[in-house]
Amino acid sequence: MSENLGLIAGVLLAVALLVYTFWPENVFAAQKPKSRLEYLRERKEQVDENLRDLSFEFSAGKYPQEDFAAQKKQLEDESAKLVAEMELSN
Amino acid sequence: MAAFGSFALLIALALAAYNLVAGAVALRLIATGQKTAILPERLADTARRAGLAGFYAVTAAALALVWSVFANDFSLTYIVEHSNRALPGWYKFSALWSGQEGSLLLWAWLLAGYGFVLRLTHKRDVKLYAYAGAILAGIQFFFLLVLNFAAPPFALVQGGAIPTDGNGLNPLLQYPEMVIHPPMLYLGFVGFSVPFAFALGALMMRYPGERWIKITRVWTMVTWLFLTCGVFLGMHWAYAVLGWGGYWGWDPVEVASLMPWLTGTAFLHSVMMQEKKGMMKSWNVWLIFITFLLTLLGTMLTRGGLVSSVHAFAESPIGYWFMVFMVIVLAVCIFTYILQYSHLKDERQVESVVSRESAFLFNNLVLIAACLVILWGALYPILSEFVEGSKVTVDAAWYNHVTVPIGLFLLFLAGVGPLLPWRTTSLKSVRRNFVLPCLALWVTVLVCLSAGVTPWKNGALDDGHFYALIAFALAAGVLTAIVGEFVRGARVIARQTGRNYLVATYLLVSRNTRRYGGYMVHLGVVIVVVGLAGSAFNRSIEGELALHDRLLIGPYMLENVGATQDSTPNYDTEYAQLDVYENGAKRFQMTPEKRVYLASGQPQTMVAIHSVLGWDLYVVYEGTNPATGQPIIKAFLNPLVSWIWAGVLLMAMGTLVALTPGKAALGSQLSVVSS
Repeated sequence: MSENLGLIAGVLLAVALLVYTFWPENVFAAQKPKSRLEYLRERKEQVDENLRDLSFEFSAGKYPQEDFAAQKKQLEDESAKLVAEMELSN
Repeated sequence: MAAFGSFALLIALALAAYNLVAGAVALRLIATGQKTAILPERLADTARRAGLAGFYAVTAAALALVWSVFANDFSLTYIVEHSNRALPGWYKFSALWSGQEGSLLLWAWLLAGYGFVLRLTHKRDVKLYAYAGAILAGIQFFFLLVLNFAAPPFALVQGGAIPTDGNGLNPLLQYPEMVIHPPMLYLGFVGFSVPFAFALGALMMRYPGERWIKITRVWTMVTWLFLTCGVFLGMHWAYAVLGWGGYWGWDPVEVASLMPWLTGTAFLHSVMMQEKKGMMKSWNVWLIFITFLLTLLGTMLTRGGLVSSVHAFAESPIGYWFMVFMVIVLAVCIFTYILQYSHLKDERQVESVVSRESAFLFNNLVLIAACLVILWGALYPILSEFVEGSKVTVDAAWYNHVTVPIGLFLLFLAGVGPLLPWRTTSLKSVRRNFVLPCLALWVTVLVCLSAGVTPWKNGALDDGHFYALIAFALAAGVLTAIVGEFVRGARVIARQTGRNYLVATYLLVSRNTRRYGGYMVHLGVVIVVVGLAGSAFNRSIEGELALHDRLLIGPYMLENVGATQDSTPNYDTEYAQLDVYENGAKRFQMTPEKRVYLASGQPQTMVAIHSVLGWDLYVVYEGTNPATGQPIIKAFLNPLVSWIWAGVLLMAMGTLVALTPGKAALGSQLSVVSS
């Protein structure tokens, strides 16, 4: 490709990309800020997942009954606190 | 084509600049709620489109270079230095990244590609992606600045006639693996820009919650997979091409790839703590910052020519560009961290030394320690030159001396971590989970001792055998622990669903792909460590072999049955022909080569390797004795090398499993068991 042809191709590329970048667009993505309730819901989902994992590991025989009961209580307490806060936020 | 390529790079630079500035302004306007003539969301969208358009511009430049290589356009300095007419097509393609300018263009193209995918999927979290996109644009702007002004790939040959042919590709790179190893490595290096951008963006916008980690997870794991494959492909190349019988020499380029892999591995583990427990927030942010900085440092060390290496082909001023950019990135990270420090308060602390949290923390500390030690070794030549005026390099023995114990401790943690519960554990729980792995460990010790793996020889400690013994024993323990996890889990599923163990294992893995894919990766690591430990038992022998002379090594006898020569347009070669006998019977023939590449006049050995499960027979043709004209053959017997490559395959498969979305539905059936 000769130098002149190369420059012409470059200019055409530049024009095409600028048109693409600044093409008038009326519909574009926006996002409302995450609410406290949504944040609490995410936290509760994670705690529920931790509870499921704990139960599965207990079923698999990894923990004795006492350890499982103590860990489960801690997670259930955490979940209850989150539910209480979610109800207040509603 | 040079004009088009240069113009495309200039367009890409302008688009990256717009992406960065407009993106930052839009985010600022959204954050402050300031009213302007243009809607901030509209401005942000043009910034995003500029990023997408930038990918097309960089692609055009990359295609221009590809075209120039295949069209043998020797008006370009880069093509003259890295290609020639007789170079086979595959290697012409890999000439694109064999030199500094081409590899920087590859970097910019991959970064643009990652950014392209990120910007197309921005609706997952518009604001977070806008932050990440602007940060990526900043990184892209730097690389395009370097490409446009410091290391232009389309620079023309100066003064005089255009050469009719080029210097050809470095013979070391004319090997099939060199077509895939650099792109893999760069996919890993460049890929860490994305989790870095997400982490910095999440910190800048004070992202509420940890969902950004879930969003980033796929990016981080894919990047880590590419870097892992890149590192091990490099090891395999070094083994198959360099002809010294080893696969890792602690060369600065090797070290440059290992450091971000270590911190990236630490990050992959510790983000689980943040996701599940809301812990280690500051730690994780700095871990990914440092990982990204290490990818830049590695490039500066190798491409900047600060440390001599078999890979560093030329010194150049771009090292200073990278140094300035790293200082800017570090300053932005520190400033953002100080400003948003209050957002990173941990929700809980480590409660017990014997807990999964502690195991993760120790794992991180050990990985960081390994990285720091290796970094010290890499920087020591520069520091010694600066302080004392002479460059002192650190040899492989020093690296091995410090990193082997660290690696073994990491292996130990890989087995211990999954067995410990979150928060705290009781002695009863420890006994329940550790009995079998400990038993496997001690049985392995006894088996190894009786098989002749003795740490003491003639009253002195044999380091190699000592560490190999520990490695084999730990491997057995960790293997037992991991297999135990699969067996226990499958037993539960089989009980609940009434299916057989094979189906239950499949259901187990598909229920929680991340965990069990991770266990597969750990299994792969165990196999790799066993392979590495085999190097303590390497043997070698060298000899001059006249026709029908023989060489004995291990169970093999090598007989010289002749030599032959060949020519291709690319190189001349001499083969030694060696019949290999085992137990008195001829098994196969090996033909190690010595090539001379015509364009550059450089010689290159091509190793012959026969690989079985237990060992590799590795044979090098070192040339002929000038006095006698007889071929000199060096043979190695390297135990367990194939385990390294098999282990890496398992690591890759495990990562792919972990990347597969898990089936949550089954998990909800196995919900809380009533106590």
